[in-house]
Amino acid sequence: MPIFSPELTKTIEGFLTRYETKRSSILPILHAIQDEKDWISDEDIDALEKNFGLSAVDVREVLTFYTMYRQTPPKPYRFEVCKSISCWLMGANDTIKTLRHEIEKAEKEGRPLPFEIHGVECLGQCGYAPSTLINKDRHNNVTPEKALQLLKEYSAKELPKAAVLCATNLAAKAQK
Amino acid sequence: MPVIKNEYQGRKPDEFRILLGLEGYPDSRNIKTYIEKSNGYKALEKVLKGGMSSEDVINTVKASGLRGRGGAGFPTGLKWSFVPKGPGEKYLITNFDEGEPGTYKDCYISEVTPHSLVEGKIIASYAIGAKKSYIYIRGEFHNEIRWCQEAIKEAYAAGYLGENIMGSGFTHHMDVYSGAGAYICGEETGLISSLEGKKGQPKLKPPFPAIKGYLGKPTVVNNVESLAVVPWIINNGPEAYKKFGTEKSPGTKLFNVSGPIAKPGCYELPLGYPLMRFINEDCGGLIGGKKLKAIIPGGSSAPALTAKECENLTLDYEAIAGAGSMLGSGAIIVIPEDVSMVSVLENLMDFYAHESCGQCTPCREGTGWLYKISKHILKGKGTKTDMDRMYSIANNMRGKTICVLSDAAADPARAIVTKFAHEFEPYLKG
Repeated sequence: MPIFSPELTKTIEGFLTRYETKRSSILPILHAIQDEKDWISDEDIDALEKNFGLSAVDVREVLTFYTMYRQTPPKPYRFEVCKSISCWLMGANDTIKTLRHEIEKAEKEGRPLPFEIHGVECLGQCGYAPSTLINKDRHNNVTPEKALQLLKEYSAKELPKAAVLCATNLAAKAQK
Repeated sequence: MPVIKNEYQGRKPDEFRILLGLEGYPDSRNIKTYIEKSNGYKALEKVLKGGMSSEDVINTVKASGLRGRGGAGFPTGLKWSFVPKGPGEKYLITNFDEGEPGTYKDCYISEVTPHSLVEGKIIASYAIGAKKSYIYIRGEFHNEIRWCQEAIKEAYAAGYLGENIMGSGFTHHMDVYSGAGAYICGEETGLISSLEGKKGQPKLKPPFPAIKGYLGKPTVVNNVESLAVVPWIINNGPEAYKKFGTEKSPGTKLFNVSGPIAKPGCYELPLGYPLMRFINEDCGGLIGGKKLKAIIPGGSSAPALTAKECENLTLDYEAIAGAGSMLGSGAIIVIPEDVSMVSVLENLMDFYAHESCGQCTPCREGTGWLYKISKHILKGKGTKTDMDRMYSIANNMRGKTICVLSDAAADPARAIVTKFAHEFEPYLKG
């Protein structure tokens, strides 16, 4: 099975010619890989070097510096709650605590939820605090009550494509 | 008490709309709305078809007194004039890496009027002779990335971007570049490194980016708000712009208000507007009628001011600097009476410790220590010596690093430790 889909390969090739230097395309390429596969593996880095001539050292330098890139397989939904000053003043810690409690409770009851919770730095929505991202969806004024509601809504949704592909790839790898 | 200049005395914030004139229109981001309701792309036409030279554009912006709205407040026209004249590649980069806690004005511009930014960028690029420009935008801003991309696409379709724009012979291409979660990329040399596909670590200046920037070529890095206001200045002239604001801080500015306040949001105000009138009247005061304890006036890196220091203070660069803080990005964070400043310090230091790029020892170690000690005190495990230690660490961080992230942590720490020392006492063991 090829490591990148034909669509992703085309996107990577597009980025390589879009910017002044090949190296400038590393950030967008890593975003694109993560969008499709949910995280960036060692195999992906090797493929970027082998198939597209990007130095694995340069790629790794970028991958490890920026917090948005995931180097391990994540849960399908990343619930990121801003914990910087404005959101903190408006109760972000309570939102985080409530979410963690709910997820732990579900885990203990044998019904694991497809979420991971992160307290993150400023999301730039300080007037609508507390602000959160669930994958790429922004939700504002997320009180503990609204957060629980969001857990319910997202639990009822179909899993994102990237999460499904991530799970499939991991299963295939485990079988080898 | 300083007064708001001339005829603006007594008016309300929604009467000062220069940048946010399209606020409230349901399809304000659309190019059609921008053209029909906001004189959209008329300034570009005036520049390219009206025979304005690049020097004329720079002089107009210089004459307006526009100061960079990203935080430092450096005169925008002057910055443009540093770019060497003549042939050779040059770049204009918009700093849309808005990550300073409290700040969300650039997001609001892209939500309400992204074409102001696009038009301002084309005009600025013409002024410095750049054929290519980027909007470097925080990776977390998924909606804003889309809005900017859509505006650029519309501008291309309308012939405002591309080859030989309006038959003027000026060619310009624009692209969006998404960051990946590093606050330090808001520092201009860090941003340039990131755009080059590297770690976003700042570089020593000089050489300044205007001489040696992106890929070693002359580069201007401007904040979103600084560029978005340029079309208005070109359309209405520098004198019209200077009617707003104060003599040394002309024009309007976007102010973000956050924290437990009745009407948080993004407001456009003339510089020099009275701070407490803004907080108590326009923003409706604190939630639940609580008393004000402190205000952080310009984003989290601005030293906090006590409620007493805020009395009679006006919102302009000079007045706030005179009070010992800074206007910064114009992000006002309101802290009520029942919030412990020890907790505020811990929260702020957590942020800076996390966001230090690690390149300079005083910053990497200093932010970490300030965070650890404030956390230690908050747990009731600190001593009086820790207070002195924090002050000493902050002093040793200031001005000793490549960029100002270190100062951005040290200054608020020093302000809180000294101004609110009494609040620490109950937490100290002896």
